[in-house]
Amino acid sequence: MRSKKVFVLIALSTIASLLIAAVNNFSLQMKIENFSLKDYNGKEHSLSDYKDSKAIVIIFIATECPISNAYNARMENIYKNYSQKNIAFIGINSNKEESVSRIKEHAEEKGLTFTILKDEKNIIADKFEASFTPEAYILNNNFEILYHGRIDNSKNQSEVVSKDLENALNAILADKEVSKKETKAFGCTIKRI
Amino acid sequence: MKLYFFLLLFALFYFISSQNYVFAQNNKDITVKIINTDDLSAIINNSDLPLLINVWATWCTPCREEFPDLVKIGRSYGDKVRVVGISVDDSDVLNSKVIPFIKNQKADFEIYLLKVVESEDFINLLNKKWSGAIPATFIYDKDGNQKEMLIGKQSYESFEEAIKKVIE
Repeated sequence: MRSKKVFVLIALSTIASLLIAAVNNFSLQMKIENFSLKDYNGKEHSLSDYKDSKAIVIIFIATECPISNAYNARMENIYKNYSQKNIAFIGINSNKEESVSRIKEHAEEKGLTFTILKDEKNIIADKFEASFTPEAYILNNNFEILYHGRIDNSKNQSEVVSKDLENALNAILADKEVSKKETKAFGCTIKRI
Repeated sequence: MKLYFFLLLFALFYFISSQNYVFAQNNKDITVKIINTDDLSAIINNSDLPLLINVWATWCTPCREEFPDLVKIGRSYGDKVRVVGISVDDSDVLNSKVIPFIKNQKADFEIYLLKVVESEDFINLLNKKWSGAIPATFIYDKDGNQKEMLIGKQSYESFEEAIKKVIE
């Protein structure tokens, strides 16, 4: 009789722990459906093109947002460092006022060599529920969100104390769980249609 | 003489360390004080009136575009609602960008400049569901309960509609 009670208690506490864990991870269990967008040269890219990568970094960026622009060099560095480690890196511009030609010109001006896609009518920003630039996501190759938030804690490189995006990537490369899955920072609102 | 020198030095030190900028606008003394997250908490918890907090920056185009309507709201409803603007510009552009913008807008409501290493605490204190995208406006009733979160550029009418919910 007593052992039955103990069993029920253990079972209940296990269920409770699983429920708590599920609730804690709920916001980041979101899965993104495959999508296709064109880059600024008109070439189509699908998320499924990057399925062999260890992870996919997606950053919503802008041409005119001073915060996004403050991160241009840092984004390019992360792309260069982590693409060698089988991490895909994609920029998406969803701002209605920023044309494909301006995105191309901006990438050339700022030396951005990673893929930048144009999200006409902000359909993909809506799917991600992205609201600001620069807003970063890391997906696994099943397109589940492993990390969401900022690149680091400050637009001023000298004040950076927490490289959140890189920390998450390093954890993923080491097959560890991302400890800080969600972060926040000030950014420019994505201008939607 | 020595005493005067030390008093002057102390005053100068106090002026620099307090990092407040005071100027006259529309016959009112406007003080732009540098605040942190604890100061924000005090603002929210110690308001006798319903509260409107607008988070903005000079680098943010929609913030600049909605600012004139915020100034008008401050003048129309200033006796019923405490209107507070918090700039998230870098503190080193206070004199070169923030103050000239406030003067140009003839803003005469409470304005602060945020200086924190970690902006997440500030963002979460205002609303855990807020991503940090600006402009963002938060409306509180007189008991300090948040009633509205308005993200993105607002109009005079949308500010007014939100305010009316806490003053009527």
